[in-house]
Amino acid sequence: MSDAGSSRDSGLLDRIAARLLDASVLERLAIAIASTGLALLIGLVIVAAAGYDAIQFLGYVLEGSFGDSSAISRTLKFTTLFILTGVAVAIAFRAGIFNIGVQGQFVVGGFTTVISILWLAPMVPEGTVGGIILLLFGFLAAAVAGGAYAAFPGALKAYTNTNEIITTIMLNFIAIGAVGWLVEGPFRGEGQAAANTERIPEYVSLPQIVYDVPDFSIVGLAVALVVAILISVVLVRTSFGYDIVTSGYQESAAAYAGVDAKRMIVVTMTISGMVAGIAGAIFAIMIQGYYSNPGGIATYGYDAIAVSLLAANNPIGAIPAGLLFGGLDSATSYIGLSSNIPPELIDGIVGLVVLFVAAPELFRMAARRTGLGGDDR
Amino acid sequence: MSMAGYARQNRLRVGGGVALVALVVLLTLLLDLPVDDLLTIGFVERSFQAAAPIALAAIGGLYAEKSGVFNIGLEGFMIFGAVNAAAVMSIVGGSSPGQIDLWIAIFGSALTTLVYAIPFAVLMIRYKADQIVAGLAVWFLGLGFGPFTAVIIWGSTNSPGLTSVDDLTVPVLSDIPVLGPILFDSSPLVLLTLILAVAAWAVLFHTRYGYWLQAAGENPEALDTAGVSVNRVRYAAVIFSGVMAGLGGAVLLAQAGSFTGTGQTMVGGRGWIGIVAYLFGNYNPIGAAAAALLFGGLDMLQIQFQTAGIEVPNRLVNLFPYVIVIAVLTVWGSTRVPSAVGESYESEE
Repeated sequence: MSDAGSSRDSGLLDRIAARLLDASVLERLAIAIASTGLALLIGLVIVAAAGYDAIQFLGYVLEGSFGDSSAISRTLKFTTLFILTGVAVAIAFRAGIFNIGVQGQFVVGGFTTVISILWLAPMVPEGTVGGIILLLFGFLAAAVAGGAYAAFPGALKAYTNTNEIITTIMLNFIAIGAVGWLVEGPFRGEGQAAANTERIPEYVSLPQIVYDVPDFSIVGLAVALVVAILISVVLVRTSFGYDIVTSGYQESAAAYAGVDAKRMIVVTMTISGMVAGIAGAIFAIMIQGYYSNPGGIATYGYDAIAVSLLAANNPIGAIPAGLLFGGLDSATSYIGLSSNIPPELIDGIVGLVVLFVAAPELFRMAARRTGLGGDDR
Repeated sequence: MSMAGYARQNRLRVGGGVALVALVVLLTLLLDLPVDDLLTIGFVERSFQAAAPIALAAIGGLYAEKSGVFNIGLEGFMIFGAVNAAAVMSIVGGSSPGQIDLWIAIFGSALTTLVYAIPFAVLMIRYKADQIVAGLAVWFLGLGFGPFTAVIIWGSTNSPGLTSVDDLTVPVLSDIPVLGPILFDSSPLVLLTLILAVAAWAVLFHTRYGYWLQAAGENPEALDTAGVSVNRVRYAAVIFSGVMAGLGGAVLLAQAGSFTGTGQTMVGGRGWIGIVAYLFGNYNPIGAAAAALLFGGLDMLQIQFQTAGIEVPNRLVNLFPYVIVIAVLTVWGSTRVPSAVGESYESEE
């Protein structure tokens, strides 16, 4: 890069940079598709090896994810959660911080939503207005709780250099155990046979538009989409977002630019946890309406890592990746109900997706060997 | 490295450990806890047993990291080790397996994990996979395919009751007060773990192979110059770490006597705790085993509290090890990681 002063040169440079960027976006897309395809293929082989009908299994997956209106609304329900949790993971990963604790932040956020709505409910009027107030209050509480639960390991990483992967995983176990104890004892609803909190009032719910099902609202999905776009704009278009990304990757560069990199780690984790908390609030309000033992709640926060990686940690990319995982999860519950194939298989396939995303070199080498678009990289 | 030398070099660590013990003693005195009921020989014996799987995984992880590869997938390998041990035991011994079937299961499971660890090592070293993401993937694979295997074999994510390991009573030695019942009239798996820990320590610090391993993590160029293949050393270490974690899972199963695949499976974070154990033990196999003993003891506190009649909710006592992991990491977390960890190495031939 000699003498980039003249405008002609920089124009050329821009064009080359744009092409390179395109190439890398295309390559990432290709890797995402190849990883998912290969994982599904291996899944099918395992299904066949275990003595089930692989073609039938594939049919179940398609039927269970997009087969009819109820399958689609179920898919979109899970998609909503995967977009939000995926975005939560992506924010941190973009800054080079491994927030594996989204599951814990999700649980803490959701539980806080329920108890804060239950606490405030007697003080506001019943009906639509009261419902909206409680709804907003619940979301706020979730964001605060989720954010705080993520800020803690963030601060440990920033100021005592503690490995955040391990602390966030431990905090997941702690969140699940502690909330499990709370719903079993102190916060158990009166006369509840199961270890659940009391139900939040009927009028605190997201409106039922388009799909008239009790556990999915298109408004929930809209919230997820808005959050994904908002986070993407902040990360890409604002100096604040730029600071987040640079402090993760180049602490010295950030310090040179006058940014307190340690503080930015805490801020990044907080935002990541807030989004995870909002996902928890949507789960609590839209799907459950109360809080149950989190040991029995699906591991959205872990699958979200696969969502984010598949999206190359891009919040917008989390939307299609979330849809894919929403479809897979929807198929899982369908398969669990209507066939004898163990639905745990899908969890394994998720693991395979992550494994392949981790090793892009595998596909690059394969591409070179087969001569499939291998020349220009 | 002698124990005294180790203590000298890690004054802060040892001092901290002493302070921790002092704090516990102080708390016991202040809260007037019934020490006699809590600190029984049975408790120490159970702690050793609980520590064995963690220690085995920790020793494996330590070897991988010393060689320059961060194997964060210990937890996943432990899940595979546990479920495969149960599967082998079921296949060999039917519905009422005996002790011989159990030992076949343990070694069969370790061999199976070897088969899993090889492609993992290839992905990590040849295909330069992101070590953290690939390690997480192993965990997810375990969480998915572990229970999947259980469903295929037993029709449920939990296995029926199989058999657990019998105590081994060594004549004469078991009569030694205190030490006798803990080591020589207990699970032979504890003794096995102890032997493996000492052997791992001896190999790492007192053999040529151990020096190669350390060099692969600290200064791979020098090792390459000396004519030793860095990647070959790393392959061996990563595969060994997978097998050790698998063995840890198998030992866990042999003690429990049945496989539990619900939630986080029966492994329940022991692989992650193993990573913390070797960090706390400062990459020394014996130190790692000692740290594992600390976590094993915390894990067994719940039973002690129950027998001593102290009213603490089980669910909360179960969280002790996790809380201590965070505390330990925060205070001793900034251990010196081998300098080339996480970097793939390419020989410049």
